[in-house]
Amino acid sequence: MLEARLQTGALLKKLLEAIKELITDANFDCSDNGIALQAMDNSHVALVALLLRHDGFEPYRCDRSLALGVNLLSLSKVLRCAGNDDIITLKADDTADVLSLTFENTDNDRISEYELKLMDIDSEHLGIPDTQYDAVVSMSSAEFMRICKDLQVLSDSVQIDVTKEGVKFAAKGELGSGAVTLKQSANVDKEDDATLIELQQNVSLNFSLKYLVNFTKATPLSTRVTLSMSGEVPLLVEYKMEAGYVRYYLAPKIGEDN
Amino acid sequence: MSEESHAAKKRRMNGRSSQLESQPSFLDDLEMLQETNQATKVDDPSLLWARPTLPKLNPSTDALIFQQIEADEYMSSATQTPVVRFFGITETGNSVICHVTGFLPYFYVPAPVGFKLDNITAFKDALERGIEKGFNTIVKIEWKLKESIYGYHGGEQSPFLKVTLKDPKNIAAAKRAIERGFSFEGFPDFTAQTYESNLAYLLRFMIDCKVTGANWIELPSGTYKSREDRNSNAQINVEISYEKIISHQPEGDWSKIAPLRIMSFDIECAGRKGIFPEAKIDPVIQIATMVTVQGESKPFIRNVMVLNTCSHIVGTHTMSFDKEEKLLEAWSDFVRAVDPDVVIGYNTSNFDFPYLLDRARHLGVLKFPFLGRLNDVRTEAKDTKFSSKAYGNRENKTINMEGRLQLDMLQVMQRDYKLRSYTLNSVCAQFLGEQKEDVHHSIITELQNGNEETRRRLAIYCLKDAYLPQRLMDKLMCLINYIEMARVTGVPFNYLLARGQQIKVVSQLYRKAFEKDFVIPAVNSQGTEDQYEGATVIEPRKGYYDVPIATLDFASLYPSIMMAHNLCYTTLLTGGIIQKYNLVKDVDYVVTPNNDAFVTANRRKGVLPIILEDLLSARKRAKADLKKETDPFKRAVLDGRQLALKISANSVYGFTGATVGKLPCLQISSSVTSYGRVMIEQTKQAVESKYTIENGYEHTAEVIYGDTDSVMVKFGVKDLKKAMELGREAAEHVTKQFIRPINLEFEKVYYPYLLINKKRYAGLYWTNPDKYDKMDTKGIETVRRDNCRLVQNVIDTCLRKILIDKDVIGAQDYTKQIIADLLQNKIDMAQLVITKALSKTDYANKQAHVELAERMKIRDAGSAPALGDRVAYVIIKGGKGTAAYDKSEDPLYVLEKNIPIDTMYYLDNQLSNPLLRIFEPILGERAKSLLSGDHTRTIQVSTPSIGGLMKFAVRTATCLGCKTPLKNGESAVCVNCKGRAPELYQKQQTIVNNLEVRFSRLWTQCQRCQGSLHQEVLCTSKDCPIFYMRKKVQKEIQDSSATLDRFLDW
Repeated sequence: MLEARLQTGALLKKLLEAIKELITDANFDCSDNGIALQAMDNSHVALVALLLRHDGFEPYRCDRSLALGVNLLSLSKVLRCAGNDDIITLKADDTADVLSLTFENTDNDRISEYELKLMDIDSEHLGIPDTQYDAVVSMSSAEFMRICKDLQVLSDSVQIDVTKEGVKFAAKGELGSGAVTLKQSANVDKEDDATLIELQQNVSLNFSLKYLVNFTKATPLSTRVTLSMSGEVPLLVEYKMEAGYVRYYLAPKIGEDN
Repeated sequence: MSEESHAAKKRRMNGRSSQLESQPSFLDDLEMLQETNQATKVDDPSLLWARPTLPKLNPSTDALIFQQIEADEYMSSATQTPVVRFFGITETGNSVICHVTGFLPYFYVPAPVGFKLDNITAFKDALERGIEKGFNTIVKIEWKLKESIYGYHGGEQSPFLKVTLKDPKNIAAAKRAIERGFSFEGFPDFTAQTYESNLAYLLRFMIDCKVTGANWIELPSGTYKSREDRNSNAQINVEISYEKIISHQPEGDWSKIAPLRIMSFDIECAGRKGIFPEAKIDPVIQIATMVTVQGESKPFIRNVMVLNTCSHIVGTHTMSFDKEEKLLEAWSDFVRAVDPDVVIGYNTSNFDFPYLLDRARHLGVLKFPFLGRLNDVRTEAKDTKFSSKAYGNRENKTINMEGRLQLDMLQVMQRDYKLRSYTLNSVCAQFLGEQKEDVHHSIITELQNGNEETRRRLAIYCLKDAYLPQRLMDKLMCLINYIEMARVTGVPFNYLLARGQQIKVVSQLYRKAFEKDFVIPAVNSQGTEDQYEGATVIEPRKGYYDVPIATLDFASLYPSIMMAHNLCYTTLLTGGIIQKYNLVKDVDYVVTPNNDAFVTANRRKGVLPIILEDLLSARKRAKADLKKETDPFKRAVLDGRQLALKISANSVYGFTGATVGKLPCLQISSSVTSYGRVMIEQTKQAVESKYTIENGYEHTAEVIYGDTDSVMVKFGVKDLKKAMELGREAAEHVTKQFIRPINLEFEKVYYPYLLINKKRYAGLYWTNPDKYDKMDTKGIETVRRDNCRLVQNVIDTCLRKILIDKDVIGAQDYTKQIIADLLQNKIDMAQLVITKALSKTDYANKQAHVELAERMKIRDAGSAPALGDRVAYVIIKGGKGTAAYDKSEDPLYVLEKNIPIDTMYYLDNQLSNPLLRIFEPILGERAKSLLSGDHTRTIQVSTPSIGGLMKFAVRTATCLGCKTPLKNGESAVCVNCKGRAPELYQKQQTIVNNLEVRFSRLWTQCQRCQGSLHQEVLCTSKDCPIFYMRKKVQKEIQDSSATLDRFLDW
């Protein structure tokens, strides 16, 4: 039996927006730890890992581990029926083939209940092991989104160079080239806009912009984003939330071949 | 309807492939052939090669009778006149070459007004001057009374000049001179249209001497003389004057066929990896040949010539050669010794022959390229372009082999049958019901470089490829049908594959015109874009009919319209003629719905209606004889004959409408279609007005659909027998309203009937009320090749369930099950494979198969598809917005790397539309529920072993019971599922066991097919469903064994 009550329903809505472009169907693995999802995108280049820790819910109850197979498009359609301020409660029986969702609006005492048919998804459970990265850049998520979108005009891929001075995003294409450099700054006044770099070693890597732009759909979830990079290891783009995270892994582009 | 649709009425294919049935291996076949041929078992098989010895022939006392199979012409160096040379076979199987002398080419010119007999000399001189390069070429000019075939001129003949020439080549020059115009005494600017000047000399000769294609010719004793000819190796060589020969019409006893020697062969060459064999570099390593005598069921010569040693093969003459030059020379000697009359094979015209010829030239085997009956004519491959409305544009090579007929079975298949794929393998699966081992050409070289056992292996493969065209030809009766077609239409056999439809009608038209003293104008045809209105279609009332639907057909609609209304070149009227002869409408002439006027039959019977009547009455006779005949061989001839007659009758209409034709006459063709349209409407009116409740019938009849020559009537009765009675009665009733021989026939009842759209329907076909004949479908996805097999199978099964079992619910359940299986990856990969030929490299748009071929070339140039190969692919999942052409992937690669298949693509782009089409008429809006719903909620997502991230990702095992990720220390099930572990173990064990059984079955099946149970299977046939099954099961065993291993520490 799973029962999870989420005070800010908007969080779930934003989460869905952040992943539904990459993944069509996935299992939500519910355990006493919280609700997690790990899945690879259709072209096997990116992986999404999401976690909502149990302490983000009030209350949270999960008697035994459950895998809830969900078509993300359908779920996001149902979630569209929830208001941003609604309290969302997720419920599922141990052997259930439906996920029930309750949306409560405290202002006008409106309670709506939905049931979503679950899917039986047979897939392997994949994860990327934690590693020590050569460079970790922490920056404004809005800034990251803007850079990705701007550079996409020029090219399909972006080169990210990290040195102790700063981080440089550069793209070169048919119509020209462009580069955005962010200097390492400790902006005390506006903590959210600061760019912080932890560096073991300089890195210079290439990534597909199409995917990065897709990742920035998670921007509403957090004001900050961290990019963790090492040579020939997937890039980790992480959006941290109060009680959980969304992580995207993206394989580096090697030469011309992707 | 135009010319092509007649030809496109391809013959129904009989027998669906039944691949899974076990089949004796080809080696067993060979062994059997040997046993049945005990009589011919001799120590030296080459003693069998020669033809039967020649009985003594005395020209002054013996008549010579032979079946001519081919003819050509040459200029006699002595007389400077053309000679026709017949190649033929006597009834005892001896070869004949017969030179026919004395026949001179001629044509007609209308005599200008005021022209008198005295003017002939001046005309002759002037014409002689007008012919370029002509010197004394005009033999004579005669005054003849003839009538032009084009238009009705009151039945009066007018004067024509018949110009006879020495050399056929000068006809065109004479024609040009006359059309250009010149002057002669009394006629300052003479110019005219010529008549019969565009007929080939050979055809002219055959028409005038009443020789048809492949008929029997008799040279009475004392009329011919033997002649020495060093240039040919025929057993009998004679010469005769053209007036003396007797040409027997192919009827009665003369419809027999001589014991023709049919040679079928196949070559193998050792190519290099990734490159299509090139004759300059890659050697010919094996040639397998089978020779059969027409009418016998088994080949009496079976041999294979092998470069290097080769172990003995049962029932086969195996010859080893240490040098390729010797092999080629031996084979060409063999061909000359066996002296085949018919040479067949698969793609021999475009591959085997050109390759052999190029190779022989490269190696300097001088004796090789003389493969015809004439010793002094070199066999060469020439490029020809063939373009026909009916058959499309084809570029081919033609190989000249004087005196031998060629039947490349690939070309026959492409012409006569519409198939998914034309590889020998899939054609055999279709018609012979068996799969063939397909050894990729990169493996052939390996086998050749192995030892005598591997070469034996290859030789068996090669022999099979040589034998299959022969079996295919026997099964489909190609040779007999083509011979009958040549006889019926009167054209030489070799025209049938090399030329289009028109020449056959031309031949018949000229023959009839010759008989009736008509002359045919030589029209310089210019293609016009003029389109005339075609056949009519009654708007279909779509739906699923659970009551009998009677189908009324006009028998041979267009020919019968032409006969009934006397539509012909010779009956076409113009306003001027009507006035001149004071013709009365509806008495002397009729006006067609297209507003053209034709005289009636009592004024003059048209030539085309006469030709059609002859054809159709001959067909009736053939069909009647067919019913009586018991001998299977004669039955085959008669059946081929009636078919040829039917096709010929139908092509006459198309000929008149072919604007790029020899004698187009759109007044005829548009009148024919306009009559057709009126008749369909009239039939509808007649049926719907008679069969009404007011007139005392149980129900009011309704015409639910009609197309070209048929109408579908719903009489409303539930009883089949009743519907058939009503159908028969209605057909009779309607027939009375039309002029004979127009005949509306009740042919069949569809019950139930699923009418999807125009030209798209399916139904169960009944001709007697006790048992249905078959399931009939039209325009429904079954043969389209850009569909995968799954679509074809699902649609077919659904229609069977709906129509035969009348189980609509069952069909829905089946469809849902298939969709569920598809989404769970349980569908066999072979079902999902789409194949397309890689015909050129520079396609304008990116296409899935081309892109894939490129990618495969980068991966491994050796096994990548080369130009001309068929590329097989499946669609795999890709990121959002990935173009479809980038989602194609090699099925084998997909199996190996476990790449997820884009099941949604198959559901949305392949299955959805065809399924909705058949279910919408039944279920209406609810049909869409088939494509979504509970059965689509179980899916399987496979994890590929490729892709940028896979190098880094680690798999967390999930519980086999509930799929939650496992924690450390758990190997098969999670804590919660611990109780179920024994059950799950059992389940996994059963899965592995079943897979193992399945795999060994498939493996044995493939070994059986390759004819050896103790050797590894090499076959990589992309057309064979077993191939993918075998590969997939192999993979699945590995995976599920690994899963089973997880229980080890439990």
